[in-house]
Formats: sequence, C-alpha cells, structure tokens
Amino acid sequence: MEYNQIEIKKGIKLHTIQTNKFKTNLIAVMLTTELSKENVTKNALIPMILRRGTQKLKTQEEINKKLEEMYGASIGCGLEKTGDNQVLKFYIESVNDSFLPQKSENMLKTSMQMLLEMIFEPYIENDTLKKQYVIQEKENLKQIIQGKIDNKSRYALDRCIEEMYKNEPYGLYKYGYVEDLEDINEKNLYEYYKYLMDNCKIDIFVSGILNEDIKTMIEKNDTFNKLNDRTPQYIMPEIKEKKSEKENTIQDSMDVNQGKLIIGLDLDFNQEDLRYDTMIYNSLLGGSANSKLFQNVREKASLAYTASSSYLRLKNNILINCGIEIENFEKALNIIKEQIEDMKKGDFSEVDIENAKKGIIDAIKSIDDEQDTEITYFFGQELSNIKIDIKGYEERVSKVNKKNVIDIANKVSINTIYFLRN
Amino acid sequence: MQIIENSKVKEKLYKEKLENGLTVMIIPKKGFQKKYIIWGTNYGSNDSSFIVPGENNVTEVPKGVAHFLEHKLFEQENGVNSLDALTALGVNANAYTTNNHTAYLYECTNNFYEALDEFMDYVQNPYFTDENVEKEKGIIGQEIMMYDDYPEWKVYLNTLEAMYHNNPVKLDITGTIETIGKIDKDILYKCYNTFYNPSNMAMVVAGDFEPNEILEEIKKRLIKHKPNGEIKRIYEDEPKEVVKGKIEQNMEVSKPLYTIGIKDVVPDTQTKVKKHIAIEILLNILIGSSSNLYKQLYEMGNSYSVPSIEYEFDKTYAHILITGQSNNPEDLFEMFKQKVKEIKDNGINKDEFERTKKMIYGEYIKEYNDIVDISRMFLSDYFKGINSFEYIEEINTIYIEFVEQVLKEVFNDKKMVLSVVKN
Repeated sequence: MEYNQIEIKKGIKLHTIQTNKFKTNLIAVMLTTELSKENVTKNALIPMILRRGTQKLKTQEEINKKLEEMYGASIGCGLEKTGDNQVLKFYIESVNDSFLPQKSENMLKTSMQMLLEMIFEPYIENDTLKKQYVIQEKENLKQIIQGKIDNKSRYALDRCIEEMYKNEPYGLYKYGYVEDLEDINEKNLYEYYKYLMDNCKIDIFVSGILNEDIKTMIEKNDTFNKLNDRTPQYIMPEIKEKKSEKENTIQDSMDVNQGKLIIGLDLDFNQEDLRYDTMIYNSLLGGSANSKLFQNVREKASLAYTASSSYLRLKNNILINCGIEIENFEKALNIIKEQIEDMKKGDFSEVDIENAKKGIIDAIKSIDDEQDTEITYFFGQELSNIKIDIKGYEERVSKVNKKNVIDIANKVSINTIYFLRN
Repeated sequence: MQIIENSKVKEKLYKEKLENGLTVMIIPKKGFQKKYIIWGTNYGSNDSSFIVPGENNVTEVPKGVAHFLEHKLFEQENGVNSLDALTALGVNANAYTTNNHTAYLYECTNNFYEALDEFMDYVQNPYFTDENVEKEKGIIGQEIMMYDDYPEWKVYLNTLEAMYHNNPVKLDITGTIETIGKIDKDILYKCYNTFYNPSNMAMVVAGDFEPNEILEEIKKRLIKHKPNGEIKRIYEDEPKEVVKGKIEQNMEVSKPLYTIGIKDVVPDTQTKVKKHIAIEILLNILIGSSSNLYKQLYEMGNSYSVPSIEYEFDKTYAHILITGQSNNPEDLFEMFKQKVKEIKDNGINKDEFERTKKMIYGEYIKEYNDIVDISRMFLSDYFKGINSFEYIEEINTIYIEFVEQVLKEVFNDKKMVLSVVKN
C-alpha cells in the first residue's frame, strides 16, 4: 500500500491509495462544510437531488442502467457529522479491469467521470434544479427524518447526543428538520448548492490497482477543470475540556419492549495526545468483551445482552449503551456508576491494559484490508490535520500505562442519563 | 489437498477432508494483514427433532437449543470464558447461529496461533453446569427482546409464518422466553455430542497463509474422534401451498415495512446454483434499481429505496423475499404481480437480460474483496452442497429461455404472501 496526497487546486486535495489487494477500485469524494441549523437540512437534501440526474444522464433510471452496464458499479451517497462539520460523501465502486471478462474500457476513468459529473454537473432545467426532483426529494427526506424512530437503539443514542448538545451544532440531527424543508425550493437550493460547491473543502480519494497517474487523469477531466480555487469554510476539529456539574436525566416514552439506556460522559481535558489513553480507558470500561460493563452488567448480573461504550474522539465524550428490562433501570444504572467509580480507583490490572492495547493495535493494523475503512482513516487525519502512520499509532498506544488510564478516569463525569422506555 | 482455481476472480481454494470427517477449506490471500477462521457445524435452529446415530428413538428438544449452545460453548471448566480469553489476546472473536448452521470465528492480525489454541480447545470441550445455563437465560431473554424491537426482523418472521405450515424455518432462531426456560445442561450435552462431531462440521480459513502449514496446525489441535454416522433429522411434511396471503403487525414505525414472500419448492441438487442466479436476474429485472416498476413506484412516492431481494434455500425449504419500506404496500404488491404477468406474457427484453447478467457478474467478483465475506460465503454454501466459485462459472451458461422457464414455475400468484408492519 502506498498513500500520497497532493493539493491539486487551492482547497481541493487528491489522495491516492495504491493497493493490489482488492478486486475493485473505490473513488470517494468528501465535501466538508460547517454544521449549522441554517444549512443542515439543505446539505442533507443536496446528495438526494444529485443522485436523480446529471447533464448527460437526466434520470435516475439512466444512471442506474449505466451502472449496471459497468458490471454493477455502485454509486452511493452518505452524510456524516464529523466534529462540528457536516460531510457529504459520494463514492463509486467498480470492478478493476483485470477481473472483467473482456478488456473494453478503462473502468477507473469511466467511474471517475461519472462520479464527478454527478456531484458537479447536476441536471439543470430552466437554469435551475429540476422542480419535480426537488419536490419529490423533499418528501423523501421528510420520510427519512421521520424514520429516525424506526431503529430504537439508534434513536436513543441520537436523542442523548441532542440533549447533551442543546443549541449547539453537534446536537443537530444530520438529516435536518421537517420544519426547515418547507422554505426550500429549486431556486434557493440551487443558489445554496453553487455556494457550497465554491466554498466547501473537497477531498478526492482513489483506492485500487492504479496503473496510471491519477493526477493527470483528473487534470484532464473537463468537469474537474470547472471547479474554482477556494478557501474552504469548515471547522478544524479541536477538543475542548468538558465537565458537568450535574447529571441531566431524560426519559422518553415509546412503544418498545426493551428499555434503551444511554449514558453520555464528559471528558475534562484538551490535550489531543490524551486520546490514546482514553482509547484504553474506553476499552476497559465498555469497549470489549473483557470490559467492566460487559462483565458486570451482562455476564454477572444477566441484565443485558448489549452493554458497551464508545468513544467520540472529536467531541471528547464517551457514550454508554445498554438494552435492559424496563424495570431494571435503577439496578443497571447503579452497576454502571459503580464501574465508572471503580475505574477512578484504578480497579484494573496492568494485564488488563496490555490486553486492551492488543485489541486496539489489532484493529488499527487491519485498516488497510478494507478500502472504505482506509479512506475513512486518512480522511480523519486530513480533517484534524494530525498525521500519524500506523506504526506511530501503535507505538503511542503501547506507551499508555496504568497511571495514565487512572488520570483519564478521574476526568470523567456523567453529563446525561437518557432512558427510552414504554 | 484438492486445489480448485478460479481464473476469473483469480483465487484458489485448497480443500481437504480429514480422517475424522472434518472438511477444511483454505483461501490464501497474499498481502492481507488480517487472518480469519470460521468453524461451523451443520446444525441450526431448524434441527430440534432428530435420531441420534446408534439410537432408535426420536429426540425432541425445545426451540432455541442451537443458539443457546452457541452462547454456552465459550464457558470452560477452569472457570475461564473463552470469549474473554480470546479478547485478551487482542483478537476479535464471535459466534452466530442460523436456521441451518452454527459458526464460531475470530479475526486478528497478531497472535493467530495462540488464539487457535484457545479457539479449537473451547469448541471441542463443552462445559455446561446448571448454574451457568440458568445465568444465560437472562442474557438471551434480553437478546430476544432486542429483536422484538426490530421491525425488520418482525416483518421477516411474519412472512415465513404466512408461508410455512410446519417447517421450523418460520420460528425465531433464539427460541422464545418460554422455550429457553426448558433448556438444561443435559439437553445441551446431548445436542453437542450429536451435532459437534467433526464429520458434521467444516472449517474455512482465509488470509496470508501457506496452505499446508495451516492445515498441519489445525490437525495438531484436533481431538481424536470417529465419524459418528448419519444423523437423521426429522421434519414434518410441508404442503406446497402458503398458509395465508397476508399478515400484518402493528409497531411504532414511521412508514410501513413490507416483505413479499414467494414460496418455492426445494431446488434440486443439479440446478440449484443456476436457479439461484436466474432468480437474481429476474428480481432485478422485475423490481431492481433500473426497472420500470421501481421507477413507477418512486415517481408515485410509494418507495424511496430499492427493495432488497433475496433467495433463501436449504435442503428443506426455498423462498424469495423482497423487502422494503412503502407508503402503500398493498398497491406495491398488486403492481408487482401485474409486472410478473406482463413479463410472462411478453418475454424478457434481451438488452435488459444481458445488462443484468453483467451487473450480477460484477457483484460476484466484489464478494472476494474481504476475507470475512469470502469465508462466510464458502462455509454457508458448503453446507448447502455448493462450492462458491460455481456462481462465477455458471452465470455464463444461463440463457434467457431458462430464466423465462424459472419465471413461469416460481413466480406464481398463489405462492405469494405479503407481510406488513405498520403503525
């Protein structure tokens, strides 16, 4: 594997990952912009409109036929909250020429052309976006937003984050809000689209068996050449100290069989470098089958099937997640709090720490076995502007000791206890 | 070792049947950091009535034993839980149960052989006690309740309930709170001893391995066993007809979820792969992303995302499932039936047919990107009597006439059911 990056226009970077391990080439384009209540809904709508048609392929049906013709190339769009940014992700995956029955076309080049056209040359009618597409996609987005109740565990997690970040960008729902959809029409959306394309940060990732110079390929691409230099408008993630004085307890009712308990923790430090210590802390608390939560809530008390925690690095939070019998709320909460306290007292061994390190290092080493995971990894580094290779990462993780983890444990406080029940 | 090479996807399969009856399959993947191993037994939630080799009487066990056993196998006599021990080595271990097989697995970049010691030890050495069996009931009870909150799981199970009179595929893999209440350690031992014999099992390994070397390492760790002879599994006869055409359940969801089920007869050994491919082609032409029907549904605001399509089959059942979210599943169901009729009458468009074949070919190739996907695919296909490479080879031998014939045989209105979960 060989990774390279280069700024091809101001504010636009090309990242190439040369690897022979896969049957496919994967191209991803990330558009990064500041997360705000004003624009969150429009940002969510844009990929849905773009998927409908391009100047050359005017309908979704034509796009899909073309993709099938390309041996089932797949185009996808995604939406992420990364720190205080909203990231619009577009990707195309197609089979590499060496695995196709007949050598006909340059699949990588065709794929690149198709993806760039979809993002930057949408179908235009009467000098603006097609009205019918905007009306239909507004309705679809409305249903996606309303659909957040369908996955109860995910819903509980999102609600907890929303409570922890009331009136802050990170508390926004990434698909936006139904009430903000009303004022959007094809004209103002098109104006916003043009603004976004001129001001967002653009990262293009190309991963696969790359037999030609990708920079040259892109520079010869007409669609790409129409893009302007820019000073990207986005927020460089920066971790902030967080400490809560008081636990906020929230309960929502819904038609559920099982209660979903989410606990949001704050971390009171602002040194970027402490994230490695925190990864170990999280692994011991609820990040693995050997963790305190899994062992005590699940294995010893038999209260749950799911009992885990995850670390939101860019926001300096840890979220605990448990599915429990509704009447066991107090019981489970007490056990969880005990675990948080035991961590503060250093009630774990050096061996536990060494085992946690092995798990983290194992995960990090396998990053380049999956094309999309590898792209996500390099994109994370790009955004936070912290460059560390896998070896450096491993070395840093290896250095964490018991005292470091106890230090982290003592910077932890409970921000919100959220419970979804019937 | 037998070596099977596929020149299209450029992969090799090394296959060996050991003396004790265990089949080992190795797919070397040069350059990969990750190593993956999966060990399965041909025993799933459907196998709750059987005759133990050497016995005459039928053994009946409560529903959910296969899954319960999967949870409990990690427990060791020395008090160690093998999941913890594997996790401590930094490897990512897990297990799962389906209707027809149970599998244990781990993946890692380091400590593969240390983990292999623990892995092969726990799968071969069960340790069940009254106490550890009782404790698990609370955990599995919460797993069952978690699934009860998944509308996509409910809409799926209801579809099977509407299609099947007797076949146990329609039941929850986990069993119910009531059935797992009846499970005790003797039942677990009996099922273990019957189904966890090497001759009923298969193992798949993928990663940067030298095939002979890894095979020797596996052999070294095997406990001596004699193949135990044939296990007779008992299933009630299943009528060809469905139970009922429609089934509905209320849950708090934003938009109705639906599954269209089409009950099929069990495909015969010779043509099952071809038939599977033909059905994939048909479903894509009928309701796939470039189909006329999907376009219509989209324009009407009936469906946003392309329905997911699947053909599930094994030795005792076969059915098609079409799943999605729709504002009006009843309309969608009618339009689907109409479309089937139309294509039956007019035949399949040749361009569409060729294009769809190309797409499916590409999808088969993509399955070889990830060592986890590869291993799981080879294991589950193996238990169905299929070598996964067959799909890539057979797709070129499929003609439009054959696909039209499958359409006429399988897509019959009377064999279709509609399952809906809505508010």
